[in-house]
Amino acid sequence: MRKIIQILAAVLVLATLCIGLSASALAADSTAPLEVVIWDNNQQAGLQAICDLFTEETGIPVQVVVKSWDAYWTLLEAGAMGGDMPDVFWMHSNNSQMYMAYDMLLDLTDYIAASEVVQVENYMPEIWELYTYNDRYYGLPKDYDTIALWYNKTMFDEAGLAYPDATWTYEDLLNAAKALTKEDGSQYGFALNPSNDQDTYYNFVYAMGGSIVTEDRKSGYDDPNTIRAMQYVGELLSYCPPNTVMSETGTDVLAKSGQVAMITQGSWMVADFKQNEYMAENFDVAILPYDSVTGNRASICNGLGWAASAFTDRPNDCWALIEWFGSKEMQTMQAELGVTMSAYNGTSDQWVNCAEGIFDLTPYLQVASEEKTGDGNNMLVLRPYTFNSTQWQSAAQQAFVAAWADPSKMEEVCLSFAATMNNLIAQEVMP
Amino acid sequence: MATKSIGRKPKMSPWDKSQLIWGWIFIAPTMLGLLILNFYPIVDTAIQSFYRTMPFNRGNVFVGFENYINMIADAEVWQSLINTFKYAIIEVPFSIAIALVLAVFLNRKIRFRSGYRTIFFLPMIAAPAAVAMVWRWLYNSQFSLINNAFGLHVDWISDPNIAWISVGIIGVWSILGYNMVLFLSGLQEIPGDYYEAADIDGANGFVQFFHITLPLLSRTIYFVLVTRVIGALQLFDLIYMIMDGTNPALPKTQSIVFLFYKYSFQNNQKGYGAAIVILLLAVTMIITLLQNLFQKKWVNQD
Amino acid sequence: MGYEAKKRLTQAVIHLILIIVSFVMVVPFLWMALTAFKTVGESTSVSPFVIFPSKWITDNFVTVWKNMDFFVLYMNTLLLIFFRVVAACLTATMAGYAFARLKFKGRDLMFSLVLFQMMIPSQIFIIPQYLMISRMGMTNTIFALVFPGLVTAFGTFLLKTAYQGLPNSLEEAARIDGCSIFQTFLRIMMPLTRSSMVALGIFTAVFAYKDMMWPLVVNSSASKMPLSAALATMQGQYTSNYPQLMAAALIACVPMIVIYLIFQKQFIEGIATSGGKL
Repeated sequence: MRKIIQILAAVLVLATLCIGLSASALAADSTAPLEVVIWDNNQQAGLQAICDLFTEETGIPVQVVVKSWDAYWTLLEAGAMGGDMPDVFWMHSNNSQMYMAYDMLLDLTDYIAASEVVQVENYMPEIWELYTYNDRYYGLPKDYDTIALWYNKTMFDEAGLAYPDATWTYEDLLNAAKALTKEDGSQYGFALNPSNDQDTYYNFVYAMGGSIVTEDRKSGYDDPNTIRAMQYVGELLSYCPPNTVMSETGTDVLAKSGQVAMITQGSWMVADFKQNEYMAENFDVAILPYDSVTGNRASICNGLGWAASAFTDRPNDCWALIEWFGSKEMQTMQAELGVTMSAYNGTSDQWVNCAEGIFDLTPYLQVASEEKTGDGNNMLVLRPYTFNSTQWQSAAQQAFVAAWADPSKMEEVCLSFAATMNNLIAQEVMP
Repeated sequence: MATKSIGRKPKMSPWDKSQLIWGWIFIAPTMLGLLILNFYPIVDTAIQSFYRTMPFNRGNVFVGFENYINMIADAEVWQSLINTFKYAIIEVPFSIAIALVLAVFLNRKIRFRSGYRTIFFLPMIAAPAAVAMVWRWLYNSQFSLINNAFGLHVDWISDPNIAWISVGIIGVWSILGYNMVLFLSGLQEIPGDYYEAADIDGANGFVQFFHITLPLLSRTIYFVLVTRVIGALQLFDLIYMIMDGTNPALPKTQSIVFLFYKYSFQNNQKGYGAAIVILLLAVTMIITLLQNLFQKKWVNQD
Repeated sequence: MGYEAKKRLTQAVIHLILIIVSFVMVVPFLWMALTAFKTVGESTSVSPFVIFPSKWITDNFVTVWKNMDFFVLYMNTLLLIFFRVVAACLTATMAGYAFARLKFKGRDLMFSLVLFQMMIPSQIFIIPQYLMISRMGMTNTIFALVFPGLVTAFGTFLLKTAYQGLPNSLEEAARIDGCSIFQTFLRIMMPLTRSSMVALGIFTAVFAYKDMMWPLVVNSSASKMPLSAALATMQGQYTSNYPQLMAAALIACVPMIVIYLIFQKQFIEGIATSGGKL
C-alpha cells in the first residue's frame, strides 16, 4: 500500500513538473527562439549557420528543425487546422495554392513593399509565380532547381562513344542508351521510373511540345505531342533495367552502383552525389538533349518559398528572418555552401563552384538561361501544378506502372489517364 | 436475482453496492482516457465520412452516403481488403505456432535460455525505420544478400505474386518475440506440479503439451489471437516503408489502412478516407465477434 | 535407448531448432552491422558482391554520433518510456481487475468499448490528438509525447485476461476475512498478475519506443524528440547513405537491448522461480 502511494505521489510530482516546465516555456517572449521547420536534412547545417548570423545581428534566436517529408506536411496541416503552425517554414508548389487560398500563410505583400532589402525584380519570376495568389505574395523565393543529364565517363570511354554535349538530340540519347546496354544485363543505358516525373519525362514532354497541365487547367496527357514523348520513353525503356528493379531501387542508387550509364537528375541531388566516391570518379554532367522536331530543350524548374504562419504572434520577427534569408548576401551564402541554387538573380554562379574539380555544374545554369545552347532553344518550364497536385501526381505514377511493364500500352495509358486526371482536376474546389 | 417482483426494485446487497462503486472507480481513469483520446476522434471520423471534405476542413459539404457508394464500386478498396486478409493469414497462424513452440522450449531448463530469449525478442527492439530499411535491403533484387548469396533473380518485393508473402515473412519475423513473451508469461503461471505429476505418470513431451500446456494456455492463446488478428488487419508501417508508390506489386499488397492513409493524408480526401476506416472497423468488429463466439468452444473457462 | 540418452537427444534437437530460428532472427541485424562498417560504394556494389567490408571503417558511427545528440535522444526516450509504462500499468491493472473480477452495471458495455478501441487504426488519432495538445499549449513537451499512452485498451484487455485466470477461492477467502475490495485487489490479486504486468510493461516500453509518427508531428523541437523519430528524420527526403543510416539504427538499438537484458534478468526470471509455486 505504502509503495503504491509513493509511486502515485511520484507520478503526481513529475506530472506537475512537466506541466510547470511547459507552462514556463509557453509564456511567449521575444527571446524565445523562432522555430524554422524544413524537410531536407542536407540543408540543415547551412541554414542554421545563416540563422546564427541573424541571431548575432538581431538578438533573436532561431532553431532549425528537420522533419521527414510526410511528417512535415502532417504537422503543417494539423497546425493549420489548429491555428498553431511553426513560425517560419518552406512552401512547395504541390501545396502552396491550397495554403494560400485558405489564408494559412502570412501575407507578405506589404512587408515586401516596405522592404529595402527585398526587391521583387531581383528574384526569379518563375518562383514568385508559385507563391502569389490573387496578386498577393505569400512566400519569398528561396531557391530553384533545374534538370541535367548525368553520364558515366568510364562507360562511354569503354564503348568508344563521345560524351553528351549541347548538340545532342533525343535520338542521340536513345542511340547512346542502346550502345551502352550490355546483353547480359550487367549494364544498362538509361534508367527512369514512373516516379521520376519532374527529373525525367516531364522534361521530354515539354521539349517535344506537349504538356502535363494545359493552360486552361486540363490534363495534357491526351495531347499528341505528349503521347509522342511518352512513346519515346517507351522506346527508351528497352535500354533500361526491368521496371521491377527500378521500382525498388532509385535511379540514383543504380547509377552509384555502376549499373546505369546515364540518368537525368535534378540539381538538388548534387550535394549527395558529390559525397559519393563512385559518382565523383566516374560521372559528369551535360545539358539535357533537345528535340529535333521542335528545336526545343526544356528543363522543369521548381523552387521553394520561405513562408510564415498566418497565426504567428510575432509577424515582424518572422518577416525579419524571411527578409534575412532573402537578402543578397544570404542567398549568396546559401549557394556557396552548395546547399542549392539560389533564387536571387546572379547568385548561383557561386553554386557552380561548390563542386569544382568534381563535376561541371554549368549545364544546370545554362538550361535556365533562356537562349540557345548548341542548336536547342532553352526553355525553363515551371513544374506543372493545380490546386491539389499531389492527387493526380500520385495517380499518374501508379497508372503508368502498367505502361512501364508493357511499353506498347503507352498511348492507351496516356489517353485513359488523361480522363482520370481531368476528373480529379474537375473535383478540385477553390474557396 | 431470479425473482422480479413488480413495483419493487431488487435491493442491492452491500457487497453488490461495493462492487458497483469500486468497479467504476477502477475503470474510470481508463474509460475517461479512452473517451477523450480515442472515442472522440472516431466519432469525428464517422461524421466526416458523410462529407466531401475541403482542405483544412473548412466548408465541408454534406453528401450523405456518397463516399460509401463510391467505395462499394471501388475495386481498389476491395483488393486492399483482400490483401489485408492475405497478410493476416500468413502472419497470425505462423507467428503464433512458431512462438508457442519456442516458448515451450524456453520454459524448460535449458542452456543459454536467456540468450535465446533475447535473440528472439531482438526484432521488437529495433526501430521500425531500421527494420524496414534492412529488409528492403535484404530483399532488393540487385544488392540483396538473399539473391546474391543463393544466385537467385527473384523480385521479392516487386513481383505481385510473391510480394505479399515477402511482406508476411517480415511480419512473422517482427512479431514472433512479442507472442513468445506473452506465451512465456502465460506458461509461468501454470503450476509446475502439473508437469511433475505428468512426469511421474510417464507422459511424454507431446502428451504434456496437448493435455496440459494447450488447455491451460488457451486463455493466453485466445488473447494473442484476438490482438494479433486485429493488429494484422491494421497493417500499415511495413507497406508504408517497404513499398514505393510505383512498385508494380503495390496494388496487390497495399493494405486497407495504407489506402486510408493515402486518401486522408496525401490526397486531401479525408471524407473518403474516413469511409474506408469505417469499413475496416465494421470488418474487424464482425471478425472479433465471430472469434468471441468461437472462444466459448475452445477456451478453458475455469 | 536409456532415459539419459533420450533426454540428451531431445535437448540436442531442441537446441538445433533454437539455433536455426536464432540465425534467421539475427541475419538482418548482422547485415545491418556489416553495412554500417562499409563505405557507400561497397554497400551498393553488385559485381563483386561484397559481404564483408574490405576495411572495417568506423567513420559512419563517428559521423552519426557527431550529427545527432544521442544523449538527449536517449534521455527523451527514457522519459517517454518511463511515464508511459507507469501510466499504462497503473490504469490497466485497476481496470483489468474490475472487468475480470467485479460484477457491476455497465461493465460489459464498457468492456466492449475497450475492445472496440483496439480495432481503430491509430493513424486516425494523430490529427485530433495533436489539436488537443496544441490547445493545451503543450506541444514540444515530454507530456505531449506521453499523452496518447496515458491509458491502454490493449493493457486493460491483457490484464483482464490475467485476472480471469486466477482461481476464485483466493478472493472468497479474503472476503470472508473481511478484506474490502480495494484491499483484496492490492494485497492478494495484484501481486499474482505480476508476470502479466511485466509483459505489459515490456510491450508498453517497446511500443512507446517504436512510436514514430506521433513524436514527429507533436514535437518539432529536436531537444524533445525520441530516438525513433530522430532516426526517421535522418532518412531525409533525398538521402540514400545506407551505411550511415544503419550505423544510426545500431546506435539507437543498443541501449534498448541493454535495458531489455536488465529487465528480463530482474523480472522474467524472478517470476519463473516464484510463479511456479502458486
